[in-house]
Amino acid sequence: MVKNIHEIRDPIHNFIRLDSNERKVLDSRPFQRLRYIHQLGLTYLLYPGATHRRFEHSLGVMELASRVYDVITNPAILHDTVRDEVPQFNSFNHKYWRQVLRMAALCHDIGHLPFSHTAEKELLPEGWNHERITLEIIRSAEMESIWKEIKITSDDVAKLAVGPKYFRESYFSNWEAILSEIITGNSFGVDRMDYLLRDSHHAGVAYGKFDHYRLIDTLRILPKEEDGSIEPVLGIEEGGLHTAESLLLARYFMYTQLYFHSIRRIYDIHLQDFLKKWLPDGYFRTALLDHLQLNDNTILTELFRAADDVTLNGHDPARRIVNREHFKLLYQRNPRDVNENPDSAKAVFKAACDKFGLNNVRKDNYKQRGNGHEFPVITEDKQILSSLELSDTLKNVPIVAVDYVFINPELYQDAKKWKKENIQTIILLKKEENHE
Amino acid sequence: MNRLQGDVVILSLIDNLKEKGSWCGETHIQKATYFLQELFDIPLGFEFILYKHGPFSFDLSDELTAMRADMLIKLQPQPRPYGPSLVTRDGSKSIKNHFSSTLKKYDSNIKFVTNKFRDRGVAELERLATALYVTLEINPNKSSEFRAQCIIELKPHVNIEEARAAVKEIDEIIRDSQKRK
Repeated sequence: MVKNIHEIRDPIHNFIRLDSNERKVLDSRPFQRLRYIHQLGLTYLLYPGATHRRFEHSLGVMELASRVYDVITNPAILHDTVRDEVPQFNSFNHKYWRQVLRMAALCHDIGHLPFSHTAEKELLPEGWNHERITLEIIRSAEMESIWKEIKITSDDVAKLAVGPKYFRESYFSNWEAILSEIITGNSFGVDRMDYLLRDSHHAGVAYGKFDHYRLIDTLRILPKEEDGSIEPVLGIEEGGLHTAESLLLARYFMYTQLYFHSIRRIYDIHLQDFLKKWLPDGYFRTALLDHLQLNDNTILTELFRAADDVTLNGHDPARRIVNREHFKLLYQRNPRDVNENPDSAKAVFKAACDKFGLNNVRKDNYKQRGNGHEFPVITEDKQILSSLELSDTLKNVPIVAVDYVFINPELYQDAKKWKKENIQTIILLKKEENHE
Repeated sequence: MNRLQGDVVILSLIDNLKEKGSWCGETHIQKATYFLQELFDIPLGFEFILYKHGPFSFDLSDELTAMRADMLIKLQPQPRPYGPSLVTRDGSKSIKNHFSSTLKKYDSNIKFVTNKFRDRGVAELERLATALYVTLEINPNKSSEFRAQCIIELKPHVNIEEARAAVKEIDEIIRDSQKRK
């Protein structure tokens, strides 16, 4: 007898189940490629356990998206004001959108470049990002034939997979916006839930863990009211507020302690430098076949070759990675300097380049996107309040912001002395006309 | 315009809206920035898309978060039915002083937008901003009725009378703004 339900063992969610039609997506070449894309790029050079791949993360996102869908569309707990937005339980539409959501969740990362987020902006031609590649793959001939068999449309999958920021061809209804929020939402997106839990597990750090079972059980679609305007969004029962706090704190700690660890970031920059030299014209090709042929393994092979051969393109950044001779941290933002000049790191970078030469200095910066700390909460007496009214913790979760300047290790001692002597002058805001 | 110059324009917009009695939630700032950028061609560089409640910029939303990280603004929770306000912090004063010539350049534009939209509710701002979006992006040179129909197609919760009124008002606002360019 042909087995219709397939089970995959997963360290985070125990079993992930999918049916034979869904298995065709799993078996497709674009999805199998994710087995060879590290979830956290070169982070394993610092946290040796962090060798997991986009493949298992994508399965985890599908699993969590289904769990959230089943909870929030349960008619027994639907809030009266949003009932009309949700397809009737077990109706054709209800089942259709569950299937679309699962496939969108499974494919949400399918367009990732090798080593995940490493320098995507610098290494793709103007107008391209991994979300656009994701859209192209979902609409490719190979995937279209699978969607046809599953009886869902590629546009619906694509829309939910990349969300409103990247899907510009049609507008999002309230229902589609909620479904997209399940995957990519700022407060309760399951993409983030899975990567926090999974990255934390593999890296061997505890910061990313939170009670996701409780959190998902208490999620609700609730009306978000704002001065005469009402929209249905993902919110939470008051009983789940503490787990929501722990999710958002987990995000803060994982970003500051793991994702933006300064050494992890400088390895990413050296890898970007290598790829700039190694790739034809310094960019990844965006044609589908070219994209599918490149993965972390093909690039690592070239990286090791270049590290051993001074005549090959990208030798210097390659040897810095392979021989662990990375640039050292010279400066990072701090509240005192930021108060003086919000772009203090940029000023230090510019001054350091003038002093030590462009080739000996690197910079990195990141600021948290979106917010996610404000969402509706339904209290035990059925009032709907803002999370910020109910939680002092959420009001005070810091925003993640990172600014680093790195220096060639051979110049580190000189640069440190130079920085100490000149920092106050360097970070002074220059006259306005110089900023034009 | 560099990032900090853009930030001082937003800071000034927030201060002006607050001073004129606006509750100044993120939606207010989103819509007011959209009007400012589109009516006066101020090169703030934000890309707006038509989202659930009219034109919305994810870039601007990210920039507001970045401004919180840079200690220029902060969230201030408000009682129901209002979402949190965004208010400027003391640290913003020195940046505004530093970029006083940028502020001077756009001051009358900021005041124009503040005066037009300071006391509007979120739903009203959504209609007006959508009317501007329809006029500028989708159907320039089309009749008022055509644009009103377009609004109700995009936003089914807006009725035709509200859409017509929004188109009529936005045409007046565009005319007024052009006189001030």
